Amino acid sequence: MLGVGVAAACLGTAFVVRSANGTPERSALRSPSVEIPQPIERAFDVPTPRPLALDRADSLWAPVLRLVEARGAPDQAAAPVARLETRTPEGTTNIVLELGHREDADGRLWVHVRLPVLPNNTTGWVPRDALGGSVEVDTHLVVDLERFTATLFEQGKQVLQARIGVGRAAWPTPRGQFYVRNRLSDFDNRFYGPVAFGLSARSAVLTDWPAGGFIGIHGTNRPELLPGRISHGCIRLRNEDIVRLAQAMPVGTPVTIR
Amino acid sequence: MSSDADGARDLTAPGDLGFALDDIDRDEAIAEGLSVVYGESRARFLGKLAFGGAALIAGLASPPALAAGPEQDVSTLNFDLVFEFLQSSFYLGAVRDGTVAAMRPEKERWARVLGAHELAHVTILKSVLGTKAAAKPFFNFRGITEDEAAFTRTAVAMEDLTVALLAGQAPRFHDRKLTAAVFSLLTTEARHAAWARRIAGVVPVANAFDEPKTLAEVDRVVRRTRFVASRPRTRSRRNPELTG
Repeated sequence: MLGVGVAAACLGTAFVVRSANGTPERSALRSPSVEIPQPIERAFDVPTPRPLALDRADSLWAPVLRLVEARGAPDQAAAPVARLETRTPEGTTNIVLELGHREDADGRLWVHVRLPVLPNNTTGWVPRDALGGSVEVDTHLVVDLERFTATLFEQGKQVLQARIGVGRAAWPTPRGQFYVRNRLSDFDNRFYGPVAFGLSARSAVLTDWPAGGFIGIHGTNRPELLPGRISHGCIRLRNEDIVRLAQAMPVGTPVTIR
Repeated sequence: MSSDADGARDLTAPGDLGFALDDIDRDEAIAEGLSVVYGESRARFLGKLAFGGAALIAGLASPPALAAGPEQDVSTLNFDLVFEFLQSSFYLGAVRDGTVAAMRPEKERWARVLGAHELAHVTILKSVLGTKAAAKPFFNFRGITEDEAAFTRTAVAMEDLTVALLAGQAPRFHDRKLTAAVFSLLTTEARHAAWARRIAGVVPVANAFDEPKTLAEVDRVVRRTRFVASRPRTRSRRNPELTG
């Protein structure tokens, strides 16, 4: 009964609406006296959403949250292949590149990761709960040891290329699939130029080098030597090129050295 | 968990995700993000939180009582932005992890549409806030985006929570045009919640009357999930020890 009464009251009530130019207009209900304002103008409208990408991200990396053994298979009983620390020798968070994931028979989630260990190109499996949130990266650096070039791609498109110096025959730059572990800058050593990237790659020769012989990408105080086979395994760029690279290449970027 | 007359399962209460609060802002990442939300400089906000986790909780339970006005509008919009960051990252994470692609077609469409909407919300809120926009926090969904069942359950709770958040905040804007705009977000989020519930097989409309939540209440729920995590430190000023 109440609903019927309300409806009757509305139909019997006078409605006046405002047109777009503010002029009062009679509503279709032909209601003579109650003025109903236009909706309040919105401060913003949401643009048409873009469909989410159909494909997976180009690459993902994740921080190591606790000391953990990487294993040869997604199984707690599988043989360990490396121990992952939470920090790098430079004091940054240790990170791993994600290659895939799988549940074990007990429903525990494991992540297949690329490891910063010798032999180079080693991969292993770690429990999901040992890693932090995944971070997307859509860049990829390709280092060509024959042509002495480093080429950065973003979403598959080339965005930067630079001439490089690489390891001498006695201290070769390792080939394979790696990733950028950290970025160092504002340090006090002109030998490395203004910026240095630490890679997951390691020298197979200089194993007794401080901190374990990690390979890096960095600037130089001897630009006249580039390009060529001039380093202990690191990839050297002219300082202006390493600065450009630093502006475009985030930590976690996969690196192919071929 | 109860059942209604037609056999559909009852709702999971917003925020009742089964997580314990045992990971408090170890490197002040939350505080950094929320300092913007709470309308203070980072240093001042962190100063208030100098006594650690307990003080952080107390500080968040009692957000500053800003006078109604543009400053409060910015703070509230920033809170909404952080929440939209959380939601969009959640859906994007599930897409990125391959979880969404493995869903049945109807469910995949649901996840992709909601993710796209949340991303559009982020875009517009960032645009409206401009230089006052809060930074995107670092998230760790701890495997939930990789598990379809857990993802779906959490999506329901998250959409319900968004409705409660916007219902609480939409009327509070000083600028009535913001109220009007956020009200349009609210109605969309309410549809998201109903859709998520239908997909999850729970009652699409849980109540005859939605209960709003305060910013502090929503914040407590978000922190209980531990989805907002410490940002990894990937830069250093130490001298390189690379082979050279």
